[in-house]
Amino acid sequence: MKKLFKSKPRTPVDLVRQTRDLLVFADRGGPDTKESKRNEKMMELSKLIRDLKVILYGDSDSEPVPEACSQLTQEFFRENTLRLLILCVPKLNLESRKDATQVVANLQRQQVQSRLIACDYLEKNLDLMDILIAGYENADLGLHYGTMLRECIRHQTVARYVLESERMKKFFGYIQLPNFDVASDAAATFKELLTRHKSTVAEFLLKNYDWFFAEYNKKLLESDNYITKRQALKLLGDILHDRSNLDVMARYVSSEENLKIIMAILRNSAKSIQIAAFHVFKLFAGNPNKPPRIANIFDRNREKLLRFFADFKPDKEDEQFEADKSQVVREIVALECINRPSIQP
Amino acid sequence: MEHQSEKKFPLTAKDYKLYEEVGEGVSATVYRALCIPLNEIVAIKVLDLEKCNNDLDGIRREVQTMILIDHPNLLRAHCSFTTGHNLWVVMPYMAGGSCLHIMKSAYPDGFEEPVIATLLREVLKALVYLHSQGHIHRDVKAGNILIDSKGAVKLADFGVAACMYDTGDRQRSRNTFVGTPCWMAPEVMQQIHGYDFKADIWSFGITALELAHGHAPFSKYPPMKVLLMTLQNAPPGLDFERDKRFSKSFREMIAACLVKDPKKRPTSEKLLKHLFFKHAHSNEYLARTILDGLAPLGERFRLLKAKEADMLSQNKALYEDKEQLSQQEYIRGISGWNFNLEDLKNQAALIQDDLVSNSEDSSESRKHKDGQENLCFESASHSKAASHLEGELNVVHNLEDPLAAFPMKPLRALKGCFDVSENDKAADSPSL
Repeated sequence: MKKLFKSKPRTPVDLVRQTRDLLVFADRGGPDTKESKRNEKMMELSKLIRDLKVILYGDSDSEPVPEACSQLTQEFFRENTLRLLILCVPKLNLESRKDATQVVANLQRQQVQSRLIACDYLEKNLDLMDILIAGYENADLGLHYGTMLRECIRHQTVARYVLESERMKKFFGYIQLPNFDVASDAAATFKELLTRHKSTVAEFLLKNYDWFFAEYNKKLLESDNYITKRQALKLLGDILHDRSNLDVMARYVSSEENLKIIMAILRNSAKSIQIAAFHVFKLFAGNPNKPPRIANIFDRNREKLLRFFADFKPDKEDEQFEADKSQVVREIVALECINRPSIQP
Repeated sequence: MEHQSEKKFPLTAKDYKLYEEVGEGVSATVYRALCIPLNEIVAIKVLDLEKCNNDLDGIRREVQTMILIDHPNLLRAHCSFTTGHNLWVVMPYMAGGSCLHIMKSAYPDGFEEPVIATLLREVLKALVYLHSQGHIHRDVKAGNILIDSKGAVKLADFGVAACMYDTGDRQRSRNTFVGTPCWMAPEVMQQIHGYDFKADIWSFGITALELAHGHAPFSKYPPMKVLLMTLQNAPPGLDFERDKRFSKSFREMIAACLVKDPKKRPTSEKLLKHLFFKHAHSNEYLARTILDGLAPLGERFRLLKAKEADMLSQNKALYEDKEQLSQQEYIRGISGWNFNLEDLKNQAALIQDDLVSNSEDSSESRKHKDGQENLCFESASHSKAASHLEGELNVVHNLEDPLAAFPMKPLRALKGCFDVSENDKAADSPSL
């Protein structure tokens, strides 16, 4: 009987349906089921998820067939299969978790009649993002849920939901988790959220400026953790240099507090952190409308800054860096000329 | 069935005690260490993040790959954490070290066939698993085949591994120029059509030759010349005269891997069914045959390092510039070779027309005669020429002459090398 069942060629739609049935079983976790029966069903589920992956990605011998992918995707989102799959990840073994992650990732890009139906589904099931984000709190799930999450926030509406949710604040903690693999995954997702969809990011940063940069400065830039500090500086530089964030940048570089933090980091003992800080610092220096308090800081530290920049260079030669540096030095010297009349009247 | 190791490895440096150095890479050092709370010997790869300029994303992927891997023939990571500007990756300790180091210490002319069959079968099982997950290893070579005290074989170093499924899409192919030149498949060098899993099969074939001879074909040449020879010469293989001791099935297995057209190479799964692997033995056999009588890994590593330092100091005058140092690392078979434009320019300028037409046979026989000496000589001549070029305005002219004489394909290969970062971006690739 079993043999017969196995030999029947299964269509993509069949595969999704059988997967769904077994996911329902796994999710319910019926305590009345015998252990052996349960293991058998979980094995079958693993095999089905692997089959779905092979349809979507092909294997070492064959490329995926668009028609089959499209059928699979349509059946997948016709009902609640994605939710079930996400909920069941903790119950799968490592190989199936990886397969499930790849399936979910791929489905985000599958078009059915030139629509990304995954996006339509997620818009109606945004709470799934909360489950995925919370995955960072579990070292065994973080990498799987993290990868799924990064794929889901490719959709702008989904990214906006995450940015504006309470969960966004959690990232400041996740980035500093002790496991490098999970922490760096959270950092990658955080970066994706803050760089991928330009207009959404700009809107988010303006609306949430106060708490966001207060947290950013305190928890990330002033962190004692080398990698946290370094990645945060790099990302801050990327955000502030992005044209779509011009207003945010203008506000950031008008803050005396921010300048003090960045100048403190310029004296960090790690070269790569200094360099990353420099890329932020140059925006303060280049600001044509420096508020008096900022100009004042430049003025008071002119000699020290010029001395500092005289020996400040990256380990590898970098033309762009040298050009930026001379520009910054010129700005600092020019400030002197403006200020001199007031000093020596 | 529970895959996440039942043992929780601690995530702070103070819970580990570092012992001697047992390995070294471009920006990382590997130590034998004790995990104090678990009372277990481990290996810890210490990576100085200050030396990794902008490749934190690549490092993240490498570590994640190592954490998520679960196969007896792949070296997985127990955990990873940062301490100061160093990243620590805690891994199982492989007391035997790499096959490259074992050969250098005790088998300079390569292993016997049953040993090779056993090693390669284990490596191939690892490749079958990796390929089924969509990964390309991209750096298969003896230096990355590790053995533990019981003779278990694990493929290591995912520093340049790529995923064909990386971004949720099946990548049509990869387009990045990575790997170590001697082991690199022609299509990886050419960069015209991209490459896939089959690139690992080529490297696997080269590794088979490496294990049989004690060194990879072309290993004494600078990378530039290796590129040309790989592209222009017939694929290397076992020699009928010199390699009489090897069986027909071994010859055929290598020949099946080293076909220039990647489509004509078998998949890892198919290759595993090859008759040659019927000659494979158990892990205990490896322990008995090649590990017995070897000095402890740390000691061997120290001796090899001292020997190399000695070689270096003998040629001190010749090893002053940076190119030479990287050349030296290349000879040692360290992975993560990074091509840079200057290296390639210098090496391109060195290639003489007659060398380009050298066949594998004649170069092999030359190597046979000169042995290690030749290796030093090659480096020496390279260094002189390189320093002559240094600072001269007509570097570009010197470069262009030999280039102009090249046929079309290698020229594209060169172009590919120079465009590494651009291609990389286009392929949305994780690392160089």
